[in-house]
Amino acid sequence: MKYMMMMNTMKVGQGVPAWPKKDLQAHIAFMRKFAKELAESGELVAAEGLAFPDQAKLVRAGKDGLPITDGVFPESKEFLAGYWIVDVDSPERAYALAARVSAAPGIGGEPLNMPIEVRQVMSAPPPEML
Amino acid sequence: MKYILLMTGTKAGVESYHAWSRKDVEAHMAALLRLSKELTASGEFVATQGLSEPSEAKLVRGEKDGIPVTDGVFPEAKEFLLGYWIVDVESPERAYQIAAKISAAPDAGGVPTNMPIEVRRFATPRT
Repeated sequence: MKYMMMMNTMKVGQGVPAWPKKDLQAHIAFMRKFAKELAESGELVAAEGLAFPDQAKLVRAGKDGLPITDGVFPESKEFLAGYWIVDVDSPERAYALAARVSAAPGIGGEPLNMPIEVRQVMSAPPPEML
Repeated sequence: MKYILLMTGTKAGVESYHAWSRKDVEAHMAALLRLSKELTASGEFVATQGLSEPSEAKLVRGEKDGIPVTDGVFPEAKEFLLGYWIVDVESPERAYQIAAKISAAPDAGGVPTNMPIEVRRFATPRT
């Protein structure tokens, strides 16, 4: 079963780059090691990091079908910072992996203990719907 | 350049879809499937995926001992990811155009949903 593990950030401007270089390097090293382990166990499907929220756009279709682009979001909006998709044997395994990511080192090497949202990825829609 | 187009909704919003008629659901899915085919033909398609219902979502934190602490309580207003498209396009404008097509997929009753689609660029690969 496939699960998506999502790392969300709350606010624009609270990005990782404000960290001391050493802490940032330790964080990235942790993430790389984690991705490598997942690849080796055969559980990694995909992992991506997204560009910072200040570049995010909200797009709607106008009546003519042309895009209407907006870049204003509520203060409380959670932005997706990055995600992993893993193929695991049980939800518990997905939660265990999420707990590892949650404990990634932050400033001073302390575990961030950030919340990771875990959601099952749906299989394709049933054939009669296509 | 790769962009991810995110479709989001609140738990209540997602539950309102259950009231859609089968015909409306099929028309909506057909529009999205047609878009996937167009994007595949143009070579811009990378991936698409739908996520399970927000009621199944869990929030996980790691404790000091590495044991996961699992929680399933979210604020009412939380925007859950419902699904996404990843496209590889020449310009941000093209990504916005594709997002507008998703936004124009038919609602219950056949009118465009005009739902907002969040468009985000992927971070450049770290070296």
